Amino acid sequence: MAVLEARSITKKFPGVVALHDVNLTLEEGKIHCIVGENGAGKSTLVKVLTGLYQADEGTLTIEGQEMNAHSLHDSEVIAYVPQELNLFRFMSVAENLFIPFNKTKHTSVFYEKRKMEEEAAPYLKRFNMAVSPGDIVQDIPISEQQLLQVARALSREKFRIIILDEPTTSLTKSESERLFAILRSLRDEGKSIVFISHKLDEVFSIGDHVSVLRNGELVGDASLSDVDQNWIIHKMTGEEIDITKNYIPAEPAGEVLLEVKNLSGYMFEDVSFSVREGEILGFAGLVGAGRSEIMQTLYGYRKKKRGEASYKGQSWKFGNTASSIGNGVIYLTEERKTHGILPFLNVRENIGIVLKDKISAHGVVVPPKDHAVAKKVIGDYSVKTHSTETKIINLSGGNQQKVLIGRAMESTPKVVIFDEPTKGIDVKTKEEIYRMMKELAEKERVGIILISSEMEELLKCSNRIITMYNGRVSSEIAGKDITQKQILRAIIGLSCTIQGSGN
Amino acid sequence: MNKNTLDTYKAIFKKFVDWIRGNQLAGVTAALVLIFIVSCFISENFLTVYNLQIMVRSLAFVGIIAIGQGLLLLLGDIDLSVGAIAGLCGVITGKFAVTFGVNPILSILIGLLAGIALGMFNGLLITSFNLNAIVLTIGMQTAYKGLNQVITKGRTITGFPKSITIIGEGSIFQIPTPTIVLLIVFILMYFLTRKTFYGRNVYAIGNSIETAKMVGIKTKKVRIISYGICGFLAGLTGILMSLRLASAQSSIGEIWVLPSIAAPVIGGIATTGGIGSITGALIGGSIMGIVSNIIVLGGVNLYWQQVLNGLIVVLAIIFDSFSRKLRTH
Repeated sequence: MAVLEARSITKKFPGVVALHDVNLTLEEGKIHCIVGENGAGKSTLVKVLTGLYQADEGTLTIEGQEMNAHSLHDSEVIAYVPQELNLFRFMSVAENLFIPFNKTKHTSVFYEKRKMEEEAAPYLKRFNMAVSPGDIVQDIPISEQQLLQVARALSREKFRIIILDEPTTSLTKSESERLFAILRSLRDEGKSIVFISHKLDEVFSIGDHVSVLRNGELVGDASLSDVDQNWIIHKMTGEEIDITKNYIPAEPAGEVLLEVKNLSGYMFEDVSFSVREGEILGFAGLVGAGRSEIMQTLYGYRKKKRGEASYKGQSWKFGNTASSIGNGVIYLTEERKTHGILPFLNVRENIGIVLKDKISAHGVVVPPKDHAVAKKVIGDYSVKTHSTETKIINLSGGNQQKVLIGRAMESTPKVVIFDEPTKGIDVKTKEEIYRMMKELAEKERVGIILISSEMEELLKCSNRIITMYNGRVSSEIAGKDITQKQILRAIIGLSCTIQGSGN
Repeated sequence: MNKNTLDTYKAIFKKFVDWIRGNQLAGVTAALVLIFIVSCFISENFLTVYNLQIMVRSLAFVGIIAIGQGLLLLLGDIDLSVGAIAGLCGVITGKFAVTFGVNPILSILIGLLAGIALGMFNGLLITSFNLNAIVLTIGMQTAYKGLNQVITKGRTITGFPKSITIIGEGSIFQIPTPTIVLLIVFILMYFLTRKTFYGRNVYAIGNSIETAKMVGIKTKKVRIISYGICGFLAGLTGILMSLRLASAQSSIGEIWVLPSIAAPVIGGIATTGGIGSITGALIGGSIMGIVSNIIVLGGVNLYWQQVLNGLIVVLAIIFDSFSRKLRTH
């Protein structure tokens, strides 16, 4: 039986048709996946389904009743888990779970802390969460926060449908499995689930049905038992992409560029490694293993405790991001939205901000140079943007990332640290980013450090992989003589050892 | 009405909407023009040379201090001690020029240097100890005001030399000198924020201080310099006012604190930083200037003046928010 039926949904914004004639049927007790590249219209569709936007054309029927944005919002039949964390960071787990209190059981005028915490316990137990109801949200790990966000959506009593927008971006494999187990049990209780993800292996492991969006149109709609990954990728991109291709730099590595000795800092202890010209050095580990912190310390964003490093044979100066950039060491952050882009400035200004010497003379910006560099980056890295004057916040995540990579390359760096470069980025752009990294290593002889939580990504790109556990280096694996088949086997083997050491 | 003229009107209206969409300052500029036109109808005394002179002269004081505050707001910072700095600088200039008999021009320069120092001191404390700018500058406001009392012992300094009071009182080609100073300040600050790399850094820090640190901007340095510039402009305002009154007193400046924030905000500078422009601060200040002027000319009861003043500011903000909505959708 269809719980939700969307017919011919069209949503226009000035100059863009975000959704065109999209049909969607959600069956009771099924997990329905929606996939598509960045900017394909997934978010707009979700906003229409949750009543955040009113569709310009088309009808939306839930359990036989036609809905508009307003009645949809009032009915509370849909529980929605947004992509970004939007918890109250300084309130407790239990408070976050039941807010707004008037929508849940807590309708009493008085604030009953103990009662609320007691009622929170079963939800936390169901999610196997290792936190207590009284904990303050900002003190619990990001992965637990993500699960809390799902639990919060489920604390609404009336919901029949749950929509999750990329819920696993900050979860490790085992944490994702925990979430999937809960989703499966909800499905078996007869709830209907809409699951949005970039990770196709997840789609196949959990989904019953898939809808594929491309450029605001529904281009594929099938039962997942009838199709395979290649079919979905073909529908998503409109072209064939070989996802088994690897991007390991082929040229032999050169001189040692950066050598780190016994470095300690916030979240990590006694770390040593080196990176050479023309190689990609992968860093594997769980979220919170200290990988980002090492690189941020090296880059000068965080203070070091002990240890030293040398760069091109000379002693490395810690604690100054400007001089790191000047010396040719660049860190591309995982937190693109908060630490990477300047949201309300345009693409040109976002590019120019790291290229003072290129675009200004005596501190005064030279407009022709400024525009030329921006156009060059947009062209070289095929950034999809209306113009150089478009605010960067209006670009898709993948295109924002291309701008950040492109502007970094304009300063001709020698070492580039990519921290989760494909987080929240679609398949096609992912491949483009891998290709960029390979080219940088091979042609420019840049030493690349790649931090990633996706095992597949590391094996696809790295010459060597360093694994980290709990702030220390746990092993180093050279991957140059591993064949395609062995890589696939190593994904399972490697992920097992890492997770093994995580317990 | 025949179809052709209707189409022409429609086309004009569409152009107007597009203009508002494409221009961040469009909404507030339209509000300024509208208020100006309405004012012309309210009082026949509004559009006279004499009244316009009064208006732009008082705009000069609020305008200069608002441009300084606007710069800090762009950074996501704020300085609530601008009024106290203004008063203190006026007194310092007066003390040197009148009591110590120092060269008047030199006295003015000393006053301006004091403004830079006081502002930078605020910035230094805020960035070094990672303090909340609002709380720190409220504290400093009291301290600076106290310093003022120490210097003047509560008395007004009178007898400014004629050679410099002309800067506050005089006019060039019918334009009051303070207004000319405002225009120079505006042009310089426009250039600084829009055409230099320092300006880029200001917007970057206002957008996201974490990103700014990541890309290697020396955020502490940029912020301290900006507090210095704001202090300089506050001092300049206070000195100009002392020259206008030919006397320095400790109370000068207090009334400017709120308008210095309201004007940039009306003009579209976000209090969270990174959005808006110095031009907006000037337009915002102009709106407030016209409104308080026409309320007096319109013969509104003194007690109601304040109420109307506040309401019209709110109206201007609503208008701006409306035009912002047009832009984003």
